[in-house]
Amino acid sequence: MSAIKKLFGIVWSLMGIGIIPLVIMQAMKEIAAKPSEENWIFWSIVIVVLMPIIAFSLITFGIFALKGEYDVLE
Amino acid sequence: MAQNVTNVSQTEEVSSTRRVIAASSVGTLIEWYDFYIFGTLAKIISEQFFPKDNPTAALLATLATFAAGFVIRPFGALFFGRLGDLIGRKYTFLVTLVIMGGSTFAIGLVPGYKAIGFFAPAIVFILRLLQGLALGGEYGGAATYVAEHSPAGQRGFWTSFIQTTATLGLFLALGVILIVRQSLGVETFSDWGWRIPFILSALLVGISVFIRMKMSESPMFVKMKKEGKTSANPLAESFKQKDNLKMVLIALLGATAGQGVVWYTGQFYALSFLQNACNVEFVQSNLIISIALLIGTPFFIVFGALSDKIGRKYIMMAGMLIAVIAYKPIYQAMYDEAALKTKVEIVEKTTIETKEAVKGTDTITTKITKKSYEDGTTYKETVKTTIPLDPVKKAELAAKDKLKPETKKEVTLPKNSYYKMIGFVLIQVIFVTMVYGPIAAFLVEIFPTRIRYTSMSLPYHIGNGVFGGLVPLISTRLVEATRPAPGLPPADPLAGLMYPMLIASVSFVIGMLYISNKTNNMDVE
Repeated sequence: MSAIKKLFGIVWSLMGIGIIPLVIMQAMKEIAAKPSEENWIFWSIVIVVLMPIIAFSLITFGIFALKGEYDVLE
Repeated sequence: MAQNVTNVSQTEEVSSTRRVIAASSVGTLIEWYDFYIFGTLAKIISEQFFPKDNPTAALLATLATFAAGFVIRPFGALFFGRLGDLIGRKYTFLVTLVIMGGSTFAIGLVPGYKAIGFFAPAIVFILRLLQGLALGGEYGGAATYVAEHSPAGQRGFWTSFIQTTATLGLFLALGVILIVRQSLGVETFSDWGWRIPFILSALLVGISVFIRMKMSESPMFVKMKKEGKTSANPLAESFKQKDNLKMVLIALLGATAGQGVVWYTGQFYALSFLQNACNVEFVQSNLIISIALLIGTPFFIVFGALSDKIGRKYIMMAGMLIAVIAYKPIYQAMYDEAALKTKVEIVEKTTIETKEAVKGTDTITTKITKKSYEDGTTYKETVKTTIPLDPVKKAELAAKDKLKPETKKEVTLPKNSYYKMIGFVLIQVIFVTMVYGPIAAFLVEIFPTRIRYTSMSLPYHIGNGVFGGLVPLISTRLVEATRPAPGLPPADPLAGLMYPMLIASVSFVIGMLYISNKTNNMDVE
């Protein structure tokens, strides 16, 4: 179980890192295609609020998991 | 004799716990009521406070304001959580109640965009932020306060009463809105009657403040303070110390994020889906949600109590997993139940009525089409076209493609379909009770008393406020992305479920792998 937790730690960290360019590229693509007010509002909320929370928490959580910090919790 | 003394003591303890639960729950329920009347009246608020030129933008602006109310919650959690860990639970969540009530009352008094222009949405936005801040401080305080009064081994049961308040708050909000709307009539309600539910909050909050003033401080906090063990800097201790931070992260990613999206999908998105995708008439759609919420609410207590016996983890995880698997079939069934293309129309009953009236500087043409179907379904379509009398203004608007008619579609379901819809929503409310019923006990038990208010409030409000609170905004957007052209129906009305399903899936995997079914810091202190 401990090995699986650590292995998934890499997955969470990579997800956290991967989400940043993915979201930014999608936002740029959609805003360029239709630079409307609603597009700006939506992507601003996603980029400023949601993305940093997901990225930071997944990366940090992944690092903790990889280091075996959660191995004691069974 | 000794047995009698023990029995009297136990009875007094239970009676005291009940008083604590009642006083805490009433206040928290009112806070949720305050918070949700805004969301429930999103469409009317958008018409009152945001420019009408683009209805979608106006609705999105309201949703953004709605989201702002949610996004600010974690800041309220930090601010009031810190206060609660420094000066005590009782006074902190008394302050949050006053701020919430004051802001809600004030929203009911703000003049509309027509009267004061840009100041109207600006003031509403600030008041909405204050609501979010207050709510951020309230829930953690109430859950902590109740848990710290509850006997060991029964925290799931007692804190589940606090868990019912969010749903009952929504129920109360829907109920008050429906009663006021039915009493005043749709037009008066849209004009000024919508303010009543906001103004009513002052009375409710007044009663709740009076009750809370009489409550005593949490015994665990009092003991810790006497021993001089309170935290000097709860924020630093919660988030800078690795041992606490790692629990904050696991609480967020493995529990509250998944719980938040399941909560908002089962209650808010279900209402939005009924109204916008299924076009179910306003009163009927609200009744469907209200009845399902009322029937489902006792299950918060059932699952809270069950979690005292078998642990919190597997109940919450089962709720997330079943929700992920069941959402698409449930929503498809809801969509099919209201779909007119599968129903047989009674053509001879179709009526078309056209009215034209001059209102101010505009000519308003209203075309109302009413249709009946063999299964008892009725359909009403209202197409309203507003054209300025001034030919120059008319030409200007035509050039900007702004003379498009507003179309309102209303489907009224027959009894059979109506009950089925209640059933579909009820299933989702049961998922909500599984993930939400035990979560307060889970959160309070994984953090130590000295930083409990701060530490549990943040993951709760990020999970609920950010991940959950953004469900309406993101899901609406995902559905809109499948719309081939403006005015045409979306190609995939279920696309909005992708977001909650994804978040709940990740949360389920993390929760199953990393959350312990046994962690309990309250009984070892």
